[in-house]
Amino acid sequence: MDEKTKTLILGMGNPLLCDDGVGLRVVAKLKDRIEKPEVTIMETGIAGLALLDLLVGYDRAIVIDAIQTVGGKAGHIYRLDTQAFDAARHTVSPHDIDFTTALEFGKKLGLSLPQQIVIFAIEASDVRTFKEECTPEVQKAIPTCVEMVLLELKKG
Amino acid sequence: MKKITIDPITRLEGHGKIEIFLNDAGEVENTYFQIPELRGFEKFAEGRLAEDMPQITQRICGVCPEAHHMAAAKCLDDVFHVDPPSAAKKLRELFYSSFYVTDHTTHFYILAGPDFVMGPEAPVAERNILGVIAKVGLELGGAVIKTRMQNHRIIQMLGGRAIHPVFGLPGGVSKGLNEDERKEVEQIAKESVEFAKLSLKVFDDIVLKNKEYLDMVLSDAYTHHTYYMGLVDEKNRVNFYDGKVRVVDPNGKEFVKYSPKEYLDNVAEHVEPWTYVKIPYLKKVGWKGFVDGKDSGVFRSTPLSRLNAADGMATPLAQAEYERFYSTLGGKPVHQTLATHWARLVELLYAAERLLELSKDPEITSPNIRTIPTAKPDEGVGIVEAPRGTLTHHYITDENGIIKKANLIVATVNNVAAISMSVKKAAQSLIKPGKKITEGLLNRIEMAWRPYDPCFGCATHTLPGQAPMEVVIYNSHGEIVERLHH
Repeated sequence: MDEKTKTLILGMGNPLLCDDGVGLRVVAKLKDRIEKPEVTIMETGIAGLALLDLLVGYDRAIVIDAIQTVGGKAGHIYRLDTQAFDAARHTVSPHDIDFTTALEFGKKLGLSLPQQIVIFAIEASDVRTFKEECTPEVQKAIPTCVEMVLLELKKG
Repeated sequence: MKKITIDPITRLEGHGKIEIFLNDAGEVENTYFQIPELRGFEKFAEGRLAEDMPQITQRICGVCPEAHHMAAAKCLDDVFHVDPPSAAKKLRELFYSSFYVTDHTTHFYILAGPDFVMGPEAPVAERNILGVIAKVGLELGGAVIKTRMQNHRIIQMLGGRAIHPVFGLPGGVSKGLNEDERKEVEQIAKESVEFAKLSLKVFDDIVLKNKEYLDMVLSDAYTHHTYYMGLVDEKNRVNFYDGKVRVVDPNGKEFVKYSPKEYLDNVAEHVEPWTYVKIPYLKKVGWKGFVDGKDSGVFRSTPLSRLNAADGMATPLAQAEYERFYSTLGGKPVHQTLATHWARLVELLYAAERLLELSKDPEITSPNIRTIPTAKPDEGVGIVEAPRGTLTHHYITDENGIIKKANLIVATVNNVAAISMSVKKAAQSLIKPGKKITEGLLNRIEMAWRPYDPCFGCATHTLPGQAPMEVVIYNSHGEIVERLHH
């Protein structure tokens, strides 16, 4: 990866459902901090297989999203890379396929997907209430996550 | 037998949950299907501009934003007392048909495909789209992706931008089609029709010609006799975008046909202690519990329901498939839940044909795509068929078009009672005292809800790991004996 690496920074989430939108808020702040032609910054509320369409054509993707884990503390930020997904791969979803399977499916079909994908996931407190702001703990995590993404970008 | 009370605090946040309670003998006594509820929508909508609702509500769902967008647009027509020009209605329906092609394609291949192509006993690691394409071939996988991408292109074309398009307005739409775009849509539609035909053939070869699967589809374990609901046009043919809501009884006889404004006279909500979601039922029949039959107000709202509630399909190839569907399964109405996957494919074909038809309509490139509202807004209802079922939007505004009250009945909620019943029946027939509870067994129980393709509200989370559904089995002492989540 070098200066010519085409990178997609993708913020995911629902801006109406409280902490579910935290990924979008991180990305909104990144837009002011990054000005490189080879870096594309995007926001999306779509799910599952449709994500493949967004990832096509990039060498690297940095995805930012909310997460809820058992016993997780709101505002914690996790960094997950492709090795973490391979170990944790799961299968049929009731509604759509999970990310890892979607990626593998895309690769099998010869779609030009990123070789490197990193996910920054922020532990959410509330993703069920209609609200356009995040809860305080999650709100506090936003600037930290912004810096983490900028550092990641420098890794190249 | 022990009486089990579900503590409301056990209602699980964040994903769907099926809880199966066994009696002392080890048989299934009760089953509860829970979907997480999104809270505070009414309060959230209050004070907003009604005209923003197509943009706001499409963000509720990351999988079917177009359905909310369309229901909201129609609701606005009603709120503002304005009738869109004919070309605008056709454009809306064209947009919506395209969306149906993408959605039904995705859900058949991702959701149903694995169960039937790989078989319900196949290991979990193989029961997904990768297993499917390994078996049916990469070419078909490529066709799935291509069909989706092409139809997303149509949605983008009309929506004006890729993400969260602006399209539906009170009185019409914001963008039309020029001749070049129309040609492109026509070409995509032709290919989509071919793809739909191919998909029906795949289902034929893999499911209908396989005796084991066909027996499963026809089995009593996956059968319920309920009322069926779906939107129909003036000739009682399936229509996703517009028409009246028709409900037929378990014998297939028309029970009621109502226009959107009359929905509150026909659908009421029942409260259960174990879920926050209020369960819709037919008001004029009454709530009799989670039971089948003509005397029970439980109804289903799914692709199967739509075919049952209608007299036919409005396009020729889909109509032929509709007839074949019923002659194969023994007449109307069809009560076998697994047949919903087949019904979905008949609808896929209709959506593609309708897309083609509309793309060739002489009015489709008309610039007359909006009637500006002049009346004072007050109240309106908009109903469409979302892929997962009938979707109702209802807004009450002040005279400036600010929302005072908003109510939505989302597709999956219509089916909560039926899903609970489907899961219970499947569980009862499959879980027997002394019989080992295997993963394959639990999968067969899951096959009871998958045809409904339940929507849990927006789920954009990509992270590896859980499908948002958990199955938990308790013995008569309330101890967990088995737990499954993918």
